[in-house]
Amino acid sequence: MAIQTLDRTAKQIVLTVQDYSIFAWRSLMNLFRPPVYWSDFLIQSDIIGVGSVSIVLLSGFFTGAVLALQSAATLSAFGATGITGRFVSLTMIRELGAVLTGIMVSGRNASSMASELGSMVVTEQIDAMRALGVDPLRKLVTPRIYATITMLFFLTIVANTFGILGGAAVTVFLNHQNGMQYFSMAWEGLHFRDVAQGLVKPLFFGYIIASIGCFYGMKTTGGTQGVGRSTIQAVVTSSVLIIVADFLITHVMLSLWPA
Amino acid sequence: MSLSLLTELEPLKDTLPVVEMRHVTISFDGPPVLEDVSFRVAPHETRILLGPAGVGKSVLLKLINGLVKPDKGEVLLFGDLISGMPEENLFPLRARTGMVFQEGALFDSLSVRDNVGYQLIEEKKLTDEEIDAKVRESLSFVELEETFSLFPSSLSGGMRRRVAIARALINQPELLLYDSPTGGLDPVTSTNIISLIVKQRDVRSTPSLLVTHRLQDAFMMCTHRFDAGKGEMVPLPKGVTDPNTTFMMLDEGQLIFDGSLHQLLHTDNTFVKEFIE
Repeated sequence: MAIQTLDRTAKQIVLTVQDYSIFAWRSLMNLFRPPVYWSDFLIQSDIIGVGSVSIVLLSGFFTGAVLALQSAATLSAFGATGITGRFVSLTMIRELGAVLTGIMVSGRNASSMASELGSMVVTEQIDAMRALGVDPLRKLVTPRIYATITMLFFLTIVANTFGILGGAAVTVFLNHQNGMQYFSMAWEGLHFRDVAQGLVKPLFFGYIIASIGCFYGMKTTGGTQGVGRSTIQAVVTSSVLIIVADFLITHVMLSLWPA
Repeated sequence: MSLSLLTELEPLKDTLPVVEMRHVTISFDGPPVLEDVSFRVAPHETRILLGPAGVGKSVLLKLINGLVKPDKGEVLLFGDLISGMPEENLFPLRARTGMVFQEGALFDSLSVRDNVGYQLIEEKKLTDEEIDAKVRESLSFVELEETFSLFPSSLSGGMRRRVAIARALINQPELLLYDSPTGGLDPVTSTNIISLIVKQRDVRSTPSLLVTHRLQDAFMMCTHRFDAGKGEMVPLPKGVTDPNTTFMMLDEGQLIFDGSLHQLLHTDNTFVKEFIE
Protein backbone atom coordinates (compact mmCIF):
# COMPACT_ATOMS: atom_id res chain seq x y z
CA MET A 1 0.00 0.00 0.00
CA ALA A 2 2.78 2.39 0.99
CA ILE A 3 4.71 1.49 -2.17
CA GLN A 4 1.63 2.14 -4.29
CA THR A 5 1.20 5.55 -2.67
CA LEU A 6 4.88 6.35 -3.25
CA ASP A 7 4.60 5.16 -6.84
CA ARG A 8 1.53 7.32 -7.45
CA THR A 9 3.13 10.36 -5.82
CA ALA A 10 6.35 9.94 -7.83
CA LYS A 11 4.38 9.68 -11.07
CA GLN A 12 2.35 12.74 -10.11
CA ILE A 13 5.52 14.75 -9.47
CA VAL A 14 7.08 13.68 -12.78
CA LEU A 15 3.84 14.53 -14.62
CA THR A 16 3.61 17.96 -12.96
CA VAL A 17 7.24 18.74 -13.86
CA GLN A 18 6.59 17.62 -17.43
CA ASP A 19 3.41 19.71 -17.69
CA TYR A 20 5.18 22.73 -16.18
CA SER A 21 8.13 22.40 -18.57
CA ILE A 22 5.90 22.29 -21.64
CA PHE A 23 3.73 25.13 -20.30
CA ALA A 24 6.68 27.37 -19.41
CA TRP A 25 8.51 26.73 -22.70
CA ARG A 26 5.43 27.42 -24.85
CA SER A 27 4.65 30.59 -22.92
CA LEU A 28 8.19 31.86 -23.42
CA MET A 29 8.35 31.01 -27.12
CA ASN A 30 4.99 32.69 -27.85
CA LEU A 31 6.81 36.03 -27.93
CA PHE A 32 8.44 35.07 -31.21
CA ARG A 33 5.22 34.16 -33.05
CA PRO A 34 2.24 36.43 -33.68
CA PRO A 35 -0.14 37.45 -32.25
CA VAL A 36 1.79 39.18 -29.45
CA TYR A 37 -0.39 41.07 -26.99
CA TRP A 38 1.71 44.18 -26.36
CA SER A 39 -1.14 46.10 -24.71
CA ASP A 40 -1.58 43.26 -22.19
CA PHE A 41 2.17 43.33 -21.59
CA LEU A 42 1.96 47.05 -20.72
CA ILE A 43 -1.07 46.55 -18.46
CA GLN A 44 0.67 43.70 -16.60
CA SER A 45 3.89 45.73 -16.34
CA ASP A 46 1.89 48.45 -14.63
CA ILE A 47 0.16 46.01 -12.26
CA ILE A 48 3.30 44.01 -11.44
CA GLY A 49 5.94 46.72 -11.64
CA VAL A 50 4.38 50.01 -10.61
CA GLY A 51 2.08 48.23 -8.15
CA SER A 52 5.02 46.61 -6.37
CA VAL A 53 7.21 49.71 -6.10
CA SER A 54 6.06 50.69 -2.61
CA ILE A 55 6.65 47.27 -0.99
CA VAL A 56 9.98 46.82 -2.76
CA LEU A 57 11.10 50.33 -1.81
CA LEU A 58 10.20 49.88 1.85
CA SER A 59 11.60 46.37 2.19
CA GLY A 60 14.81 47.43 0.40
CA PHE A 61 15.26 50.53 2.53
CA PHE A 62 14.80 48.77 5.87
CA THR A 63 16.88 45.75 4.84
CA GLY A 64 19.77 48.10 4.05
CA ALA A 65 19.17 49.89 7.34
CA VAL A 66 19.25 46.64 9.34
CA LEU A 67 22.39 45.51 7.50
CA ALA A 68 24.09 48.78 8.45
CA LEU A 69 23.01 48.45 12.07
CA GLN A 70 24.16 44.85 12.41
CA SER A 71 27.41 45.22 10.46
CA ALA A 72 28.44 48.41 12.24
CA ALA A 73 28.04 46.66 15.60
CA THR A 74 30.25 43.76 14.48
CA LEU A 75 32.77 45.82 12.51
CA SER A 76 33.33 48.21 15.40
CA ALA A 77 34.95 45.32 17.30
CA PHE A 78 37.68 45.37 14.63
CA GLY A 79 37.73 49.14 14.27
CA ALA A 80 36.42 48.76 10.74
CA THR A 81 33.09 50.61 10.86
CA GLY A 82 34.30 52.64 7.89
CA ILE A 83 33.63 49.76 5.52
CA THR A 84 29.93 49.56 6.42
CA GLY A 85 29.07 51.07 3.04
CA ARG A 86 30.98 48.39 1.20
CA PHE A 87 29.34 45.65 3.24
CA VAL A 88 25.81 46.97 2.65
CA SER A 89 26.22 47.65 -1.07
CA LEU A 90 27.83 44.26 -1.81
CA THR A 91 25.24 42.34 0.20
CA MET A 92 22.32 44.22 -1.34
CA ILE A 93 23.53 44.14 -4.93
CA ARG A 94 24.88 40.60 -5.04
CA GLU A 95 22.24 38.85 -2.97
CA LEU A 96 19.57 40.48 -0.93
CA GLY A 97 18.24 43.01 -3.44
CA ALA A 98 17.34 40.35 -5.99
CA VAL A 99 16.20 37.65 -3.54
CA LEU A 100 14.12 39.94 -1.32
CA THR A 101 12.51 41.65 -4.30
CA GLY A 102 11.82 38.23 -5.84
CA ILE A 103 10.15 36.95 -2.68
CA MET A 104 8.16 40.15 -2.14
CA VAL A 105 6.95 40.18 -5.75
CA SER A 106 6.25 36.46 -5.55
CA GLY A 107 4.05 36.99 -2.48
CA ARG A 108 2.18 39.80 -4.19
CA ASN A 109 2.01 38.68 -7.82
CA ALA A 110 2.42 34.89 -8.03
CA SER A 111 -0.55 34.69 -5.66
CA SER A 112 -2.53 37.22 -7.67
CA MET A 113 -1.81 35.42 -10.95
CA ALA A 114 -2.75 32.02 -9.52
CA SER A 115 -5.97 33.29 -7.98
CA GLU A 116 -6.99 35.38 -10.98
CA LEU A 117 -6.36 32.64 -13.55
CA GLY A 118 -7.70 29.98 -11.17
CA SER A 119 -10.97 31.89 -10.79
CA MET A 120 -11.19 32.19 -14.56
CA VAL A 121 -10.67 28.42 -14.89
CA VAL A 122 -13.36 27.44 -12.38
CA THR A 123 -15.90 29.86 -13.88
CA GLU A 124 -15.14 28.47 -17.38
CA GLN A 125 -13.83 31.86 -18.58
CA ILE A 126 -10.64 30.19 -19.85
CA ASP A 127 -12.70 27.65 -21.80
CA ALA A 128 -14.85 30.51 -23.11
CA MET A 129 -11.72 32.30 -24.29
CA ARG A 130 -10.51 29.16 -26.07
CA ALA A 131 -13.98 28.65 -27.55
CA LEU A 132 -13.85 32.23 -28.91
CA GLY A 133 -10.66 31.36 -30.78
CA VAL A 134 -8.20 33.09 -28.44
CA ASP A 135 -5.21 31.23 -26.98
CA PRO A 136 -5.18 31.91 -23.20
CA LEU A 137 -1.50 31.04 -23.06
CA ARG A 138 -0.68 33.88 -25.48
CA LYS A 139 -3.27 36.29 -24.13
CA LEU A 140 -2.86 35.76 -20.38
CA VAL A 141 0.37 33.92 -19.61
CA THR A 142 3.00 35.22 -22.04
CA PRO A 143 2.39 38.94 -21.24
CA ARG A 144 2.59 38.17 -17.50
CA ILE A 145 5.88 36.28 -17.88
CA TYR A 146 7.62 38.99 -19.89
CA ALA A 147 6.15 41.78 -17.76
CA THR A 148 7.40 40.11 -14.57
CA ILE A 149 10.89 39.50 -16.00
CA THR A 150 11.18 43.10 -17.18
CA MET A 151 9.73 44.73 -14.10
CA LEU A 152 11.60 42.55 -11.59
CA PHE A 153 14.85 43.71 -13.21
CA PHE A 154 13.97 47.35 -12.53
CA LEU A 155 12.43 46.65 -9.13
CA THR A 156 15.68 45.00 -8.07
CA ILE A 157 17.55 48.16 -9.02
CA VAL A 158 15.05 50.15 -6.94
CA ALA A 159 15.52 47.76 -3.98
CA ASN A 160 19.33 47.98 -4.26
CA THR A 161 19.27 51.76 -4.45
CA PHE A 162 16.96 52.16 -1.47
CA GLY A 163 18.84 49.47 0.45
CA ILE A 164 22.05 51.48 0.12
CA LEU A 165 20.14 54.65 1.07
CA GLY A 166 18.71 52.87 4.12
CA GLY A 167 22.22 51.86 5.15
CA ALA A 168 23.35 55.45 4.65
CA ALA A 169 20.53 56.78 6.81
CA VAL A 170 21.52 54.49 9.69
CA THR A 171 25.21 55.23 9.23
CA VAL A 172 24.72 58.99 9.27
CA PHE A 173 21.80 59.51 11.66
CA LEU A 174 22.20 56.63 14.13
CA ASN A 175 25.86 55.69 13.99
CA HIS A 176 26.96 59.32 13.44
CA GLN A 177 29.54 58.42 10.79
CA ASN A 178 30.59 60.23 7.66
CA GLY A 179 28.11 59.89 4.82
CA MET A 180 30.69 60.59 2.10
CA GLN A 181 32.89 57.82 3.42
CA TYR A 182 29.90 55.43 3.40
CA PHE A 183 29.07 56.18 -0.23
CA SER A 184 32.68 56.13 -1.43
CA MET A 185 33.23 52.73 0.24
CA ALA A 186 29.95 51.48 -1.24
CA TRP A 187 31.08 52.58 -4.71
CA GLU A 188 34.70 51.43 -4.51
CA GLY A 189 33.77 47.96 -3.28
CA LEU A 190 31.65 47.22 -6.33
CA HIS A 191 32.90 45.42 -9.43
CA PHE A 192 31.26 44.49 -12.70
CA ARG A 193 30.90 40.87 -11.58
CA ASP A 194 28.87 41.99 -8.54
CA VAL A 195 26.49 44.11 -10.57
CA ALA A 196 26.18 41.39 -13.24
CA GLN A 197 25.38 38.78 -10.62
CA GLY A 198 22.74 41.01 -9.03
CA LEU A 199 21.05 41.87 -12.31
CA VAL A 200 21.07 38.42 -13.91
CA LYS A 201 19.20 36.90 -10.99
CA PRO A 202 15.96 38.90 -11.34
CA LEU A 203 15.63 37.72 -14.93
CA PHE A 204 15.42 34.13 -13.72
CA PHE A 205 13.38 34.99 -10.64
CA GLY A 206 10.83 36.89 -12.75
CA TYR A 207 10.43 33.89 -15.00
CA ILE A 208 9.97 31.59 -11.99
CA ILE A 209 7.38 33.85 -10.32
CA ALA A 210 5.18 34.35 -13.37
CA SER A 211 5.42 30.87 -14.86
CA ILE A 212 4.72 29.18 -11.51
CA GLY A 213 1.88 31.59 -10.66
CA CYS A 214 0.23 31.12 -14.04
CA PHE A 215 0.87 27.36 -14.10
CA TYR A 216 -0.89 26.73 -10.80
CA GLY A 217 -3.67 29.13 -11.79
CA MET A 218 -4.31 27.37 -15.09
CA LYS A 219 -4.21 23.94 -13.43
CA THR A 220 -6.82 24.86 -10.81
CA THR A 221 -9.51 22.29 -10.09
CA GLY A 222 -12.07 22.01 -7.32
CA GLY A 223 -13.90 25.34 -7.27
CA THR A 224 -13.11 28.19 -4.90
CA GLN A 225 -11.29 25.87 -2.50
CA GLY A 226 -9.07 24.88 -5.44
CA VAL A 227 -8.31 28.56 -6.13
CA GLY A 228 -7.08 28.96 -2.56
CA ARG A 229 -4.95 25.81 -2.86
CA SER A 230 -3.43 27.01 -6.15
CA THR A 231 -2.59 30.39 -4.61
CA ILE A 232 -0.75 28.78 -1.69
CA GLN A 233 1.10 26.36 -3.97
CA ALA A 234 2.13 29.19 -6.30
CA VAL A 235 3.60 31.35 -3.51
CA VAL A 236 5.33 28.47 -1.70
CA THR A 237 6.77 26.89 -4.85
CA SER A 238 7.96 30.14 -6.40
CA SER A 239 9.55 31.33 -3.12
CA VAL A 240 11.41 28.04 -2.63
CA LEU A 241 12.48 27.95 -6.29
CA ILE A 242 13.81 31.50 -6.01
CA ILE A 243 16.11 30.46 -3.15
CA VAL A 244 17.21 27.30 -5.00
CA ALA A 245 17.79 29.24 -8.23
CA ASP A 246 19.71 31.88 -6.28
CA PHE A 247 22.11 29.23 -5.03
CA LEU A 248 22.60 27.74 -8.51
CA ILE A 249 23.05 31.12 -10.24
CA THR A 250 25.48 32.29 -7.56
CA HIS A 251 27.48 29.09 -7.95
CA VAL A 252 27.65 29.48 -11.74
CA MET A 253 28.45 33.20 -11.58
CA LEU A 254 31.21 32.69 -9.02
CA SER A 255 32.79 30.00 -11.18
CA LEU A 256 32.62 32.38 -14.18
CA TRP A 257 33.97 35.38 -12.24
CA PRO A 258 35.84 34.16 -9.16
CA ALA A 259 36.01 36.74 -6.37
CA MET B 1 -50.99 19.53 -26.94
CA SER B 2 -51.15 15.83 -27.81
CA LEU B 3 -47.73 14.57 -28.73
CA SER B 4 -48.89 11.05 -29.61
CA LEU B 5 -49.74 11.75 -33.26
CA LEU B 6 -46.95 13.91 -34.62
CA THR B 7 -46.29 14.95 -38.18
CA GLU B 8 -42.83 16.01 -39.24
CA LEU B 9 -42.39 18.69 -41.88
CA GLU B 10 -39.93 18.02 -44.72
CA PRO B 11 -36.37 18.36 -43.37
CA LEU B 12 -33.83 20.64 -45.05
CA LYS B 13 -31.51 18.49 -47.15
CA ASP B 14 -27.74 18.64 -47.13
CA THR B 15 -25.18 15.89 -47.02
CA LEU B 16 -21.90 16.75 -45.28
CA PRO B 17 -22.32 16.79 -41.48
CA VAL B 18 -21.16 19.83 -39.56
CA VAL B 19 -20.18 17.65 -36.62
CA GLU B 20 -19.46 13.96 -36.54
CA MET B 21 -18.38 11.78 -33.63
CA ARG B 22 -17.15 8.28 -34.28
CA HIS B 23 -16.88 5.80 -31.40
CA VAL B 24 -15.63 8.42 -28.94
CA THR B 25 -14.52 7.38 -25.45
CA ILE B 26 -13.18 9.71 -22.79
CA SER B 27 -12.38 9.35 -19.10
CA PHE B 28 -10.87 11.55 -16.36
CA ASP B 29 -8.95 9.46 -13.78
CA GLY B 30 -11.71 6.90 -13.47
CA PRO B 31 -14.41 5.05 -15.40
CA PRO B 32 -15.30 6.44 -18.86
CA VAL B 33 -17.43 9.57 -18.83
CA LEU B 34 -18.43 8.84 -22.43
CA GLU B 35 -18.07 5.45 -24.05
CA ASP B 36 -18.28 4.59 -27.74
CA VAL B 37 -20.44 7.61 -28.62
CA SER B 38 -21.23 8.19 -32.29
CA PHE B 39 -23.60 10.72 -33.88
CA ARG B 40 -23.82 13.46 -36.50
CA VAL B 41 -25.16 16.98 -36.73
CA ALA B 42 -26.30 17.84 -40.25
CA PRO B 43 -26.39 21.39 -41.66
CA HIS B 44 -29.56 23.23 -40.54
CA GLU B 45 -30.14 20.57 -37.89
CA THR B 46 -30.77 21.27 -34.22
CA ARG B 47 -29.93 18.36 -31.95
CA ILE B 48 -31.12 18.29 -28.38
CA LEU B 49 -29.01 16.24 -26.00
CA LEU B 50 -30.99 15.02 -23.02
CA GLY B 51 -29.87 13.21 -19.93
CA PRO B 52 -29.71 13.48 -16.17
CA ALA B 53 -27.03 15.60 -14.50
CA GLY B 54 -23.50 14.20 -14.52
CA VAL B 55 -23.77 11.85 -17.51
CA GLY B 56 -21.22 13.72 -19.65
CA LYS B 57 -23.40 16.10 -21.65
CA SER B 58 -21.12 19.11 -21.14
CA VAL B 59 -18.03 16.99 -21.84
CA LEU B 60 -19.59 15.95 -25.14
CA LEU B 61 -20.05 19.61 -26.11
CA LYS B 62 -16.45 20.40 -25.17
CA LEU B 63 -15.26 17.48 -27.30
CA ILE B 64 -16.99 18.98 -30.32
CA ASN B 65 -14.86 22.12 -30.41
CA GLY B 66 -11.74 20.46 -29.09
CA LEU B 67 -11.75 21.91 -25.56
CA VAL B 68 -11.10 18.36 -24.38
CA LYS B 69 -9.59 15.48 -26.37
CA PRO B 70 -11.04 11.98 -26.59
CA ASP B 71 -9.06 8.94 -25.40
CA LYS B 72 -10.41 6.92 -28.32
CA GLY B 73 -12.42 7.63 -31.44
CA GLU B 74 -12.64 10.54 -33.85
CA VAL B 75 -14.29 13.96 -33.76
CA LEU B 76 -14.86 15.82 -37.03
CA LEU B 77 -15.77 19.52 -37.03
CA PHE B 78 -16.70 21.10 -40.40
CA GLY B 79 -15.19 17.98 -42.01
CA ASP B 80 -11.80 18.38 -40.27
CA LEU B 81 -10.57 15.68 -37.93
CA ILE B 82 -9.94 17.60 -34.70
CA SER B 83 -9.38 14.80 -32.19
CA GLY B 84 -5.63 14.76 -32.79
CA MET B 85 -5.26 18.36 -33.94
CA PRO B 86 -2.74 20.65 -32.16
CA GLU B 87 -4.33 23.41 -30.07
CA GLU B 88 -3.01 26.15 -32.38
CA ASN B 89 -4.82 24.72 -35.41
CA LEU B 90 -8.06 24.49 -33.48
CA PHE B 91 -8.45 28.23 -32.86
CA PRO B 92 -9.60 29.11 -36.42
CA LEU B 93 -12.16 26.28 -36.28
CA ARG B 94 -13.40 27.36 -32.86
CA ALA B 95 -13.78 30.92 -34.15
CA ARG B 96 -16.39 29.52 -36.58
CA THR B 97 -18.46 28.08 -33.75
CA GLY B 98 -20.40 29.83 -31.01
CA MET B 99 -20.64 28.32 -27.56
CA VAL B 100 -22.93 29.29 -24.70
CA PHE B 101 -21.58 27.97 -21.40
CA GLN B 102 -23.61 26.63 -18.50
CA GLU B 103 -23.27 29.74 -16.32
CA GLY B 104 -22.60 32.12 -19.21
CA ALA B 105 -18.83 32.27 -18.53
CA LEU B 106 -18.76 36.03 -19.15
CA PHE B 107 -15.44 37.77 -18.50
CA ASP B 108 -16.25 39.50 -15.22
CA SER B 109 -13.60 42.20 -15.57
CA LEU B 110 -14.92 43.31 -18.97
CA SER B 111 -18.06 45.29 -19.80
CA VAL B 112 -20.95 43.74 -21.71
CA ARG B 113 -19.71 45.57 -24.82
CA ASP B 114 -16.24 44.03 -24.49
CA ASN B 115 -17.66 40.61 -23.65
CA VAL B 116 -19.98 40.48 -26.64
CA GLY B 117 -17.41 42.01 -28.99
CA TYR B 118 -14.49 39.98 -27.59
CA GLN B 119 -13.91 37.93 -30.70
CA LEU B 120 -14.07 40.98 -32.98
CA ILE B 121 -11.76 42.98 -30.70
CA GLU B 122 -9.20 40.17 -30.71
CA GLU B 123 -9.39 39.72 -34.49
CA LYS B 124 -8.50 43.45 -34.91
CA LYS B 125 -10.16 43.60 -38.33
CA LEU B 126 -12.85 46.17 -37.47
CA THR B 127 -12.74 49.70 -36.11
CA ASP B 128 -14.15 50.48 -32.65
CA GLU B 129 -17.24 52.07 -34.25
CA GLU B 130 -17.88 48.99 -36.39
CA ILE B 131 -17.47 46.73 -33.35
CA ASP B 132 -19.89 48.91 -31.36
CA ALA B 133 -22.46 48.62 -34.15
CA LYS B 134 -22.07 44.82 -34.30
CA VAL B 135 -22.32 44.53 -30.51
CA ARG B 136 -25.50 46.63 -30.46
CA GLU B 137 -26.97 44.49 -33.25
CA SER B 138 -26.17 41.30 -31.36
CA LEU B 139 -27.52 42.72 -28.11
CA SER B 140 -30.72 43.82 -29.83
CA PHE B 141 -31.19 40.20 -31.02
CA VAL B 142 -31.33 39.15 -27.36
CA GLU B 143 -33.23 42.34 -26.43
CA LEU B 144 -30.58 43.68 -24.09
CA GLU B 145 -29.32 46.81 -25.83
CA GLU B 146 -29.52 48.80 -22.61
CA THR B 147 -26.80 46.66 -20.98
CA PHE B 148 -24.10 47.83 -23.45
CA SER B 149 -21.97 49.63 -20.84
CA LEU B 150 -22.77 47.50 -17.81
CA PHE B 151 -20.57 44.88 -16.18
CA PRO B 152 -21.67 41.23 -15.81
CA SER B 153 -21.85 41.57 -12.02
CA SER B 154 -24.78 43.97 -12.36
CA LEU B 155 -26.82 41.59 -14.55
CA SER B 156 -29.35 38.97 -13.43
CA GLY B 157 -28.76 35.26 -14.18
CA GLY B 158 -31.12 35.32 -17.16
CA MET B 159 -29.56 38.50 -18.56
CA ARG B 160 -26.10 36.93 -18.32
CA ARG B 161 -27.25 33.93 -20.36
CA ARG B 162 -28.72 36.26 -22.97
CA VAL B 163 -25.47 38.25 -23.13
CA ALA B 164 -23.63 34.94 -23.49
CA ILE B 165 -25.93 34.08 -26.41
CA ALA B 166 -25.24 37.51 -27.95
CA ARG B 167 -21.50 36.85 -27.60
CA ALA B 168 -21.86 33.46 -29.26
CA LEU B 169 -23.86 34.92 -32.16
CA ILE B 170 -21.87 38.06 -32.94
CA ASN B 171 -19.59 36.48 -35.53
CA GLN B 172 -22.46 34.63 -37.24
CA PRO B 173 -21.14 31.17 -36.34
CA GLU B 174 -21.60 28.14 -38.54
CA LEU B 175 -22.41 25.99 -35.52
CA LEU B 176 -23.89 26.80 -32.11
CA LEU B 177 -23.31 24.82 -28.94
CA TYR B 178 -25.62 25.54 -25.99
CA ASP B 179 -24.63 24.04 -22.63
CA SER B 180 -27.74 24.01 -20.41
CA PRO B 181 -28.70 27.58 -21.34
CA THR B 182 -31.79 27.49 -19.10
CA GLY B 183 -30.28 25.64 -16.14
CA GLY B 184 -31.18 27.24 -12.81
CA LEU B 185 -33.49 29.86 -14.35
CA ASP B 186 -37.15 30.52 -13.59
CA PRO B 187 -39.77 29.26 -16.13
CA VAL B 188 -40.44 32.70 -17.66
CA THR B 189 -36.74 33.45 -18.22
CA SER B 190 -36.21 29.90 -19.53
CA THR B 191 -38.97 30.41 -22.09
CA ASN B 192 -37.34 33.69 -23.16
CA ILE B 193 -34.02 31.94 -23.67
CA ILE B 194 -35.63 29.08 -25.62
CA SER B 195 -37.45 31.66 -27.72
CA LEU B 196 -34.08 33.22 -28.64
CA ILE B 197 -32.65 29.82 -29.57
CA VAL B 198 -35.71 29.04 -31.72
CA LYS B 199 -35.37 32.50 -33.31
CA GLN B 200 -31.74 31.78 -34.19
CA ARG B 201 -32.67 28.35 -35.54
CA ASP B 202 -35.52 29.61 -37.74
CA VAL B 203 -34.13 32.98 -38.84
CA ARG B 204 -30.52 32.01 -39.56
CA SER B 205 -30.84 28.19 -39.87
CA THR B 206 -27.62 27.74 -37.89
CA PRO B 207 -27.00 24.09 -36.97
CA SER B 208 -26.84 23.65 -33.24
CA LEU B 209 -26.49 21.23 -30.39
CA LEU B 210 -28.35 22.01 -27.19
CA VAL B 211 -27.67 20.25 -23.92
CA THR B 212 -30.46 20.22 -21.39
CA HIS B 213 -32.08 18.10 -18.73
CA ARG B 214 -35.32 20.07 -18.91
CA LEU B 215 -37.83 18.20 -21.06
CA GLN B 216 -40.20 21.15 -21.30
CA ASP B 217 -37.48 23.19 -23.05
CA ALA B 218 -36.71 20.35 -25.44
CA PHE B 219 -40.36 19.80 -26.36
CA MET B 220 -40.96 23.53 -26.73
CA MET B 221 -38.14 23.77 -29.27
CA CYS B 222 -39.65 20.94 -31.27
CA THR B 223 -43.23 22.17 -31.21
CA HIS B 224 -42.69 25.89 -31.76
CA ARG B 225 -41.36 28.13 -34.48
CA PHE B 226 -40.32 31.77 -34.63
CA ASP B 227 -42.85 34.04 -36.30
CA ALA B 228 -40.82 36.85 -37.86
CA GLY B 229 -44.00 38.90 -38.50
CA LYS B 230 -45.07 38.85 -34.88
CA GLY B 231 -41.49 38.89 -33.62
CA GLU B 232 -42.17 36.06 -31.18
CA MET B 233 -42.19 32.29 -30.80
CA VAL B 234 -45.51 30.67 -31.73
CA PRO B 235 -46.71 27.05 -31.48
CA LEU B 236 -46.72 24.90 -34.59
CA PRO B 237 -50.11 23.50 -35.65
CA LYS B 238 -51.34 20.71 -33.43
CA GLY B 239 -49.42 17.47 -33.98
CA VAL B 240 -46.73 19.11 -36.16
CA THR B 241 -43.09 19.19 -35.08
CA ASP B 242 -39.97 20.84 -36.42
CA PRO B 243 -38.31 18.24 -38.69
CA ASN B 244 -34.80 19.57 -38.18
CA THR B 245 -34.94 19.30 -34.41
CA THR B 246 -34.01 15.83 -33.23
CA PHE B 247 -33.08 14.21 -29.93
CA MET B 248 -30.27 12.23 -28.36
CA MET B 249 -30.10 10.87 -24.86
CA LEU B 250 -27.11 9.94 -22.73
CA ASP B 251 -27.08 7.59 -19.79
CA GLU B 252 -24.01 6.41 -17.90
CA GLY B 253 -21.72 7.65 -20.67
CA GLN B 254 -23.53 5.90 -23.49
CA LEU B 255 -25.79 7.26 -26.19
CA ILE B 256 -28.99 5.31 -25.59
CA PHE B 257 -31.27 7.20 -27.97
CA ASP B 258 -30.92 9.05 -31.27
CA GLY B 259 -34.02 10.04 -33.20
CA SER B 260 -37.03 12.30 -33.69
CA LEU B 261 -39.55 13.45 -31.11
CA HIS B 262 -42.00 10.84 -32.40
CA GLN B 263 -39.42 8.08 -31.93
CA LEU B 264 -38.52 9.46 -28.51
CA LEU B 265 -42.11 9.25 -27.37
CA HIS B 266 -42.53 5.71 -28.70
CA THR B 267 -39.23 4.16 -27.73
CA ASP B 268 -39.06 0.86 -25.86
CA ASN B 269 -36.02 1.93 -23.84
CA THR B 270 -37.01 1.80 -20.18
CA PHE B 271 -34.66 4.58 -19.05
CA VAL B 272 -35.87 6.95 -21.77
CA LYS B 273 -39.48 6.20 -20.86
CA GLU B 274 -38.81 6.86 -17.19
CA PHE B 275 -36.95 10.07 -18.02
CA ILE B 276 -39.82 11.36 -20.15
CA GLU B 277 -42.44 10.41 -17.61
